Amino acid sequence: MSISDIHSQTGMNTRSIGWPQVAFGVLLASLLLIPLGIDNAFVSHVFITICLFAALSTAWNIVGGFAGQLSLGHAVFYGIGGYTGVILFNLGVTPWIGMFVGAAVAAVVGMVISYPCFRLKGPFYTLASIAFLEVIRVLSLHFKDMTGGATGMMIDLRLGWTWMVFRERWPSLLIVFGMLLITLAVAWAIRRSRLGFYLVATRERESAARAAGVRTVRVRLVAVAISSALCAMLGTFHAMYLTYIEPAAMFSLAFSIQIAMFALIGGIGTVAGPLLGAALLVPITEWARASLGASALGLHGFVYGIVLIAFVLFMPNGIMGAIRRFARNGGKAAVEPGQTETGPIVAPANAVAAPDPDRPGIGQDILKVENLNKRFGGLHVTRDVNFTLREGEVLGLIGPNGAGKTTLFNMISGFMTPDEGKVSLRGVDGQFHQPTNPADFAALGMGRTFQIVQPFAAMTVEENIMVGAFYRHHDERDAREAARETAWRMGLGPLLNAEARGLTIGGLKRLEVARVMAMQPRVLLLDEVMAGINQTDVRRAIDLMLSIRDTGVSIIAIEHVMQAVMSLSDRVIVLASGEVIAEGRPQDVVRDPHVVEAYLGKEFAHAHA
Amino acid sequence: MKLTKFLTSAAVGLALASPSFADVKFGSLYPISGPLALLGEESARGLELAVDEINAAGGIQGEQVVLERGDAVDNNQATGEARRLISLVGVKAIFGTYSSARVIAASQVSELAGVPYFELGAVADEVTGRGLTYLFRTNPTAANMGKDSIEMLANAIAPGLGKDPKDLKIGIIYEDSSYGTSVAGHQDAHAKDAGLNVVLKSGYPANTVDMSSLVLELREKGVDVVLQTSYQNDSVLFLQQANEAGYKPLAIIGGGGGYSMQPTADAVGHDVIEGVYDVDFTQFEVNQEATPGLDKFVEAYKAKYGTEPRSGHSLNNYVGAKAVLEALDKSEGFEPDQIVAAVKAIDVAEGTTAAGYGIKFDETNQNERASMMGMQWQDGKLVTVYPEGAAVAEMRFAE
Amino acid sequence: MTTFLQVLLNGLMLGGLFAIVAIGLTLIFGIVKVVNFAHGEFLMAGMFVTWLITTRLGLHPYASVIIVVPMMFLLGALTQRVLIQPLMSAEDDHVQIFATVGLSTAMINLALLIFGADIANTPNFGLRTPIEIGPVRVLSGQLYIFIAAIILVAALQLFLKNSQTGRAIRAVAQHRVAAELMGVNVPRIYILSFGLGAACVGLAAVLIAPLYPTSSNIGTYFVLTAFVVVVLGGLGSIPGAFFGALVIGLVDSLSGFYIGSDLREAVVFGIFLLILILKPSGLFGKRMTLSHLS
Repeated sequence: MSISDIHSQTGMNTRSIGWPQVAFGVLLASLLLIPLGIDNAFVSHVFITICLFAALSTAWNIVGGFAGQLSLGHAVFYGIGGYTGVILFNLGVTPWIGMFVGAAVAAVVGMVISYPCFRLKGPFYTLASIAFLEVIRVLSLHFKDMTGGATGMMIDLRLGWTWMVFRERWPSLLIVFGMLLITLAVAWAIRRSRLGFYLVATRERESAARAAGVRTVRVRLVAVAISSALCAMLGTFHAMYLTYIEPAAMFSLAFSIQIAMFALIGGIGTVAGPLLGAALLVPITEWARASLGASALGLHGFVYGIVLIAFVLFMPNGIMGAIRRFARNGGKAAVEPGQTETGPIVAPANAVAAPDPDRPGIGQDILKVENLNKRFGGLHVTRDVNFTLREGEVLGLIGPNGAGKTTLFNMISGFMTPDEGKVSLRGVDGQFHQPTNPADFAALGMGRTFQIVQPFAAMTVEENIMVGAFYRHHDERDAREAARETAWRMGLGPLLNAEARGLTIGGLKRLEVARVMAMQPRVLLLDEVMAGINQTDVRRAIDLMLSIRDTGVSIIAIEHVMQAVMSLSDRVIVLASGEVIAEGRPQDVVRDPHVVEAYLGKEFAHAHA
Repeated sequence: MKLTKFLTSAAVGLALASPSFADVKFGSLYPISGPLALLGEESARGLELAVDEINAAGGIQGEQVVLERGDAVDNNQATGEARRLISLVGVKAIFGTYSSARVIAASQVSELAGVPYFELGAVADEVTGRGLTYLFRTNPTAANMGKDSIEMLANAIAPGLGKDPKDLKIGIIYEDSSYGTSVAGHQDAHAKDAGLNVVLKSGYPANTVDMSSLVLELREKGVDVVLQTSYQNDSVLFLQQANEAGYKPLAIIGGGGGYSMQPTADAVGHDVIEGVYDVDFTQFEVNQEATPGLDKFVEAYKAKYGTEPRSGHSLNNYVGAKAVLEALDKSEGFEPDQIVAAVKAIDVAEGTTAAGYGIKFDETNQNERASMMGMQWQDGKLVTVYPEGAAVAEMRFAE
Repeated sequence: MTTFLQVLLNGLMLGGLFAIVAIGLTLIFGIVKVVNFAHGEFLMAGMFVTWLITTRLGLHPYASVIIVVPMMFLLGALTQRVLIQPLMSAEDDHVQIFATVGLSTAMINLALLIFGADIANTPNFGLRTPIEIGPVRVLSGQLYIFIAAIILVAALQLFLKNSQTGRAIRAVAQHRVAAELMGVNVPRIYILSFGLGAACVGLAAVLIAPLYPTSSNIGTYFVLTAFVVVVLGGLGSIPGAFFGALVIGLVDSLSGFYIGSDLREAVVFGIFLLILILKPSGLFGKRMTLSHLS
């Protein structure tokens, strides 16, 4: 989904209230007020169903939308909540407690079944989620002693708030409406928090997210846990509302699809979308069933399927997408990403820091690479690579294509495990550590860029940098502030609100660096940040790197632009066929015949020897 | 919001659109869309015929009966429709519902609202096993099916085969939804009470495409009598695959569902289904001395719907509904407690209804006189063979 | 021992059945990279048409292949052209999955609308005749399915290896963009592949119809199993799908006999999950396909 505008989801994080907020508020309030006003059990039932589906769909959206893992097995969690609630109810435990027990069970189950599945992408994750649903349904049929088997379970009709069973409809409505509000609030909070940014970043580009220090598996597990817990609580409520549950209804594939479908129709990945989808579709479904269901077998389901297809074809971003498009054309002011919270966008006084004349100088070792070996099948990609990096030093890493430079980067940032050898990084505590994964490297202050730029295309420049900034700042406002400051420093200030996918290649390279810089790394790995950019940009990039170096950051730069290598590097390492063939001051290294040979071939080297 | 306004007006409109005020309204709650629609609709027709007959005879307490339909397509919808019928339409009672899960869900609502609910077709024990005050069931249940199938086996089939029932190895197989599970549970219990030898009890999902493993297991264990409770697809599969595997038990006793349907026989072939027994609601090939009024029902059905009844579901709904409506005619009024008092007084003797069984509610509000009949596929037709009073043909036995 | 052999043979035959259904799916999944949740409904549609032709015209069910296969090809091509192709540019596959789910829902209910909830029984013209092989027996129709599956696998392999179009299809499957640069008309190949996949399931429908009662929801049982088979066999590998199907058929049959009929689904899906988690390239996949791994 191109759910680009993190900020304009219902525009809720702008402080100015526009019509989308008002409309959303009115819709929400009407879900409670209309049925209370009409005071009719059937109308209440329809609204309870709307609130229930809206809440389930909102909870699903945390995994399906924010994290981009299309689960069609979410009924598992709803069912777990329902069964836990009913089993405890019949043991004399109030569903108010059962609800949380169910949520805890569902969260654990969610994490256990999702952990191995997160390696799976797209349709494979979806298929796995369906398979889990089927397995759990079959097991719940089989283990009759606990679940009552196919005949299901009933609760005794104990009335009152303690038991969440009522003769009137309005208490149930109040409860489910409250749960809807909580679910929406959770979704909204996630969306604008660090977790939300991390989830979307992971969804958009997992490797870039990992480089930004995101523990991608962990954030998705947290998302799954929250989502399943919310679904389970809603399941408990619904079981109390129905007073009767059975496996076929609680672990139903059709039900899972329905939950996801409301989100799709409302707008996947948005906060308000699932609610809109449910509020629109539930009444239409009820109406279609009433008017078409009796006349012809299957007609209603047929229409349902066609509507789904039509939505997918003509409104793939759902109602929210359509509203946004409309708002963009019509009421521009309302969705203009104002972000007034941190004040208007102004350039800081020291927009581009001038190179510091008193650079602290080169200090002690900060990174030690020892005997790194890596083989891909029969290919020996790096062979006994040894070097060290010192604090405040710029180390140029050059070598012909295929020399193993990027592989080396991958090993010293945790993206790849070396077959032999070790990488040690000195932490702020002064000790050397040997981290094993990108997140641990990031925690010790390692930042990296990618040779092929990896922007979070659907995010704005500011949000891209915020993903990095969240590494140092937990609060969204601080992160935004830091991101802006970094952006200006990197010369991206005027582009803050541009979508990343619209940037030029030079802009993207700068964005890549900016995102890493926002993490305030101590060691920076730059992978060809100057490739493919024009001469002016190269000059600016060199200045930029010098200014970064002057703040005390150590840099290793893979670079083909010799002008940059020569003027930047304190030291150069030359890699060829996986081996370090030369190391030293830049002007010495380029004269080394081995280097010339490696680059230009033997004949050339001999001719000039 | 426009939408909710629309909804409200639609809901209110529905409420006002109801016909003249001198009528008494009852709910007719069946699954009439979705996967259960076919037999749900068939069941609903029985109720409609009973209402037509009562109305033609002057209605109840001088008022014409109007049925308000509700669609119980799933459990959530069943509770929703029950609420609509009760609160929006203001029905005095609800009739239904064919599916056990749906009636269980819907009657929890009606019970809380204090509206009587008459179940005419669902078989699961749990329907009446919950101690509800306002729920009554007229039809025979899974318990009847379990009991009657074992009794027929012990009292008629085994002697006919010239065997002591205790010598027969019995295999119980069933589709694993609530229908098959509960019937199989009762068969197992009754068989053990009667000292019979159950060597296998196994469930399977009704939508399976292969039952050959189960057939092999039955053959391996030397099962003489197979009791299967199944829907149509799995009845066909089992009969075909057993036949093709060369597995010929002494008797196969079906439990309703697929075994009572003519398309099943046509699908597996009349030679294959020949001699297969079936225990189910009263069907149409039955001795009418035991089921007075049956031909009148069939005629009325044909006149109204233009076809033969598609299964015995309509008949059983008709019989139950008619008895209840006749009792309500004698009631003081339509308050819930008056209705309850009236139906508790029902005392219809056996052999006086079109389905053969009598009607009298026990303390759990289950019709204690309900029973099923034993049938057998003979020459491509399902004929009643048990009990003897209702039989239209002699029971046949495997050589 | 005889019983064990019979269980094995039943499993193999079941495997043949799953194979012939899954081959079309693996084509679509492997080439167009779309999860077609409506695949089971394609099968259902083919079976209903076979039933109609057989009962109305009194023809041998196998004769309907000349109508059903081209018809299914058109249906598949049309699905790709009208439904999937506009969504190919979508940034993730959510929308395609929903599109096929919508198609599946619509088709099931359309069948319900046209044919009602009754089962439709195709006359079997002796295809249910048991054939005795030593101590065990097998149905002639099942045997034909098994043979047809082998022939179909071989034919498709030949087609993909040796024909110009087949090579283009493989090029697109391996690297869409590269194929496009080489001048392959990718949208056309997709339409062709989807049509081909649907035609395969059309053939499956013709062969299965005489053996199994047709109903509007018969596809739902097959489709999940077919996905299991496809993943087990390795994405887009046709021989893989065949052997994957045999494995699942055997597992289904053995677990049904030795574990219990009510749990066999849990066993099959459990194995599916294990494969997905432990060896996502499939049992027979030669190497990791990057398309489904992060």
